[in-house]
Amino acid sequence: MGGVDSVSNIIRFFILLFLQVFIFRQVSLGWGGAEYIFVFIAPLFIALLPLRTPKPLVVIFSFLFGISTDFFYETLGVHAAAATFCGYIRQFVLVILEPRDGYKVKASPDGKDLSLSWWFSYLAYLVVAYTVFYFSMEAFSPVFWKQITIKSLLTAPVSLLLCGILVTFLRPRI
Amino acid sequence: MEQILRIFYKNGSFFTFAGLQLLCLYLIVNFNSPQSAIAVETASIFTGSVKSGAGTVEGYLNLAEENEIQRREIADLRSRLPEAGYSTTLETDSIEDKTYAQRFIHLTANVINRSPFSPNNTLVIDRGTGQGVAAGQGLVGREGLIGIVDLPTENFSRVISILHRSARISAGLRNNAYGTLQWDGTDPRRMILTDIADYLTVMEGDTVFTTGFSNVFPTGQVIGTVESSEVQPGTGSQNLIVRLINDPLHTNNVFVVRDLFKDELAKLKPLK
Repeated sequence: MGGVDSVSNIIRFFILLFLQVFIFRQVSLGWGGAEYIFVFIAPLFIALLPLRTPKPLVVIFSFLFGISTDFFYETLGVHAAAATFCGYIRQFVLVILEPRDGYKVKASPDGKDLSLSWWFSYLAYLVVAYTVFYFSMEAFSPVFWKQITIKSLLTAPVSLLLCGILVTFLRPRI
Repeated sequence: MEQILRIFYKNGSFFTFAGLQLLCLYLIVNFNSPQSAIAVETASIFTGSVKSGAGTVEGYLNLAEENEIQRREIADLRSRLPEAGYSTTLETDSIEDKTYAQRFIHLTANVINRSPFSPNNTLVIDRGTGQGVAAGQGLVGREGLIGIVDLPTENFSRVISILHRSARISAGLRNNAYGTLQWDGTDPRRMILTDIADYLTVMEGDTVFTTGFSNVFPTGQVIGTVESSEVQPGTGSQNLIVRLINDPLHTNNVFVVRDLFKDELAKLKPLK
């Protein structure tokens, strides 16, 4: 799961998809008949794509992960839209978070050259982008901005926590 | 071409993103019922506003034509007003046969040129002898008077504005007092009605009408209201300052008034 080659990326695709649609799909907490907390780990897949992946391909892979999630969630297009957006802004997040001496794309395979705090802020950007876009697409109208805000505020920390835990165990090189 | 390709190559991720995002929107709208309902609602609001906007624009494009149609209608209606008729009422015993023969007819015209503002204003309209315009015919606006035709050519006519120092218009009050309306060349909003006998009481705000005595304007056309009066010592008359109801300098849509009985009435000039 920590590799940069295409095979390990494909394996990661299916493992994370499995986790998302069979385990984390069951998680939905809320009150008063409405659900507010969900867990999304799609941002983790997008985050873990290798640094050298061409930018259009990042977007396409994100879309594929999103649309696969959608088939299980029966919300065709919603996850795909959020994932595509997330994959698109990944390049800008990487620019913002670039270390002073740049990324060491050819570092050792077990590469732990990026700190835990870097990983958390990186994931935070992607998770927040994903959740906000997801709930916007789910509501599909700015009229529901209150629900969008509440759901995003509650879902993003939980998703970030889970993505963070998963990445702490693995801490791959990207 | 090469540059366009370069743009695509450089922003490949953006175009991929935009394309996939459009695909996602299509999927969302087509396969999710709440979102599709919202989309349909939004689209109907949007197309509704676009349609009404387009309707407004279309209305404006037809405005000139519509305007012309309306003005012809107005000219026609004015020709049917009792003031435009000559009463042929015959009272024989107690049977009243009230009919009107057509006396004034109206022709629509547009002001196409004006002299610069001066004490002697003239203007040019786009109707001439070809349309039956002749010297001495009156020019009225939607309300109020504009001028008197002076020199008609085949397609155009020069008009002496009522704001011209040599313009003389027969005007009167409700109590049948009448005098001559003229302009002193200063304030384009006010004219002076002279030769009103000084023993008549004139109230401020009285309406001034055309008398129709000079066969130029239809009888009873409102000109303006009395603003003030001043007795001219030694002449036995008073001058009334008349506030005009219209703005002759800024009216473009006008009507030429033709008196069909003018020739007949001209035979009955006063004896000198």
